Amino acid sequence: MKEPGTFPIHDSKIEALRVWRVHFSYNGSPVLRDVNFDVKPGTFSVVLGRNGSGKSTLFRIIVGMLRPQSGTVSVFGRTFHDLSLRERTRLLGFLPQHHHAVFPFAVEDVVLTGRAAWVGLMPKEEDRRAALEAMERLGIGHLRGKPYTALSGGEQQLVLIARVLAQNPRLLLLDEPTSHLDFVNANRLLALVRESLCPHMTVVAILHDPNLAFRHGTHFLFLVDGTIVQLPEKTPPWDRHWLSRVYGMAVETVPYGDRAFVVPR
Amino acid sequence: MPLRIRQILVFGLPGPLLVVSLFLGPADSIRALEVMQWFGAGLGVADGPENAELVGAIVWDIRIPRIVLTFLVGGSLAASGASLQAVFRNPLVSPYILGLSSGAALGAALAMATARLPVYPSAFFFGMFAVGCSYVLGRVGKTVSSVSLVLSGVIVSGIFTALLTLVQFLTDPFKLQTIVHWTMGNLHNADWKKLRDSWPFLMAGFVGLFLLRWRMNVLALGDQEAWAVGVHPEREKILILIPASLSASASVAAAGVIGMVGLVVPHMVRMMLGPDHRLGIPACFAFGGGFLVLVDDLSRVLTAFELPIGIFTTLVGGPFFIYLLRRSRLGWEA
Repeated sequence: MKEPGTFPIHDSKIEALRVWRVHFSYNGSPVLRDVNFDVKPGTFSVVLGRNGSGKSTLFRIIVGMLRPQSGTVSVFGRTFHDLSLRERTRLLGFLPQHHHAVFPFAVEDVVLTGRAAWVGLMPKEEDRRAALEAMERLGIGHLRGKPYTALSGGEQQLVLIARVLAQNPRLLLLDEPTSHLDFVNANRLLALVRESLCPHMTVVAILHDPNLAFRHGTHFLFLVDGTIVQLPEKTPPWDRHWLSRVYGMAVETVPYGDRAFVVPR
Repeated sequence: MPLRIRQILVFGLPGPLLVVSLFLGPADSIRALEVMQWFGAGLGVADGPENAELVGAIVWDIRIPRIVLTFLVGGSLAASGASLQAVFRNPLVSPYILGLSSGAALGAALAMATARLPVYPSAFFFGMFAVGCSYVLGRVGKTVSSVSLVLSGVIVSGIFTALLTLVQFLTDPFKLQTIVHWTMGNLHNADWKKLRDSWPFLMAGFVGLFLLRWRMNVLALGDQEAWAVGVHPEREKILILIPASLSASASVAAAGVIGMVGLVVPHMVRMMLGPDHRLGIPACFAFGGGFLVLVDDLSRVLTAFELPIGIFTTLVGGPFFIYLLRRSRLGWEA
């Protein structure tokens, strides 16, 4: 079987992710309205928007945990709802928001569960190797025997990223991967994601902090009140009028190099 | 203690224990020396004891089936408990807590009282139904918190126990005694027939749990985390609940309600060998079997009258459960 990482993913004709006319309402009230966007292969796209704008719902729909009332999601040209969960998982990895661990599994055993889409009942030696390799790539090989529950928040997040690496999908969704991390760890994690995952993997992440997003992301999607708003042409994503509109709050920007810092006014 | 040695202890100790158990019994029956002589005669190296016929009957017809059945029951309850804890991500649950045991007891009692239903399938059906009820009732929206699951289990367990009492009330006195004795959880009437009836169900349950043991690791990380790696959490839960219910309900049908083994043993095994179910499920089976054989030995040797083993295990396990509850503080906030 061919591993997804070896496909020629730079074929720019196929979008890594295409969300097409997605509508979703929960208990009668619309959450997402006519959401359309494409994600190019090998990019690190960041979804920005306020709490309740529908970011997490959008992710749950892409992953298939929720079914939209209408619209389609396709990943590398394949309509997602037609695929089995196993097939989907080989294309698409997903890092859910804050994970609460109950049992003190060893780090290696946590990473190994990322292989579930590739193994039958029991993981084999090659799966163990894939898990170890993923840990080495992220520089956490020395943690393999430690109980996951004894790690710091930053380390736990790295373990979960290693789990996704072991899963080896072509597209990776990260739902607020930095929400429990301090300033240093958040930047370190995102740099790691960009450098060691892209461009082999396409990454779409939800981030709360626009400065973190502009520092690390390559493309940006703005979700306002359940729909994607298009950045006007020739406007940089850190334009203050634009961001004031996206966040519904006046913001100030401070130029810095070729980008700008965003601060609330 | 290195892991290797702990593994050898968990898997190795039950063996000698089973052998030793053959020589134990109430002091006024036969002596250990006579059992030894009987074995010696069987192997052709010694003269048999004077009362060879009695010793043979006791060892072969009573002790061996009892020890084997006790081992299978203890192992099945422990393996079932470990898998339930993984499936529900809740270290506080067991077949007993979730109402599986009382459901199975009702099913078996109905079958015994009416003599129309097959005992083991009926126990399985009601046991599985009871866990399903606990799970559905313990759900609030899309999440099941540790404590709400335990509470709904208590309620479901109570309802099925009440129904069991009703069945007992309506049953004629002759059958009633059998049912009452059996529900208290005891192994003193174990014989070859009971073993023949129960082992296919017990083994089928264990084989199922054994095959799915790594999938329990995946589920134990959480529903979303399982979904993210391609394991459908709800389907997988049902898939594991089938052998878990089979194990526990067949144990109940064979030996009545024996509480706490399914709760305490998985914790002991986790403390010794860690939470990985690839090792944990077989270890629970070996250790749980050994544990119950040991408790049964004690109940045979220590008291002149035989204390039903279910009472014994609950007296030991109850305080342990309280200890866990206080130590882990799990899910109170959720």
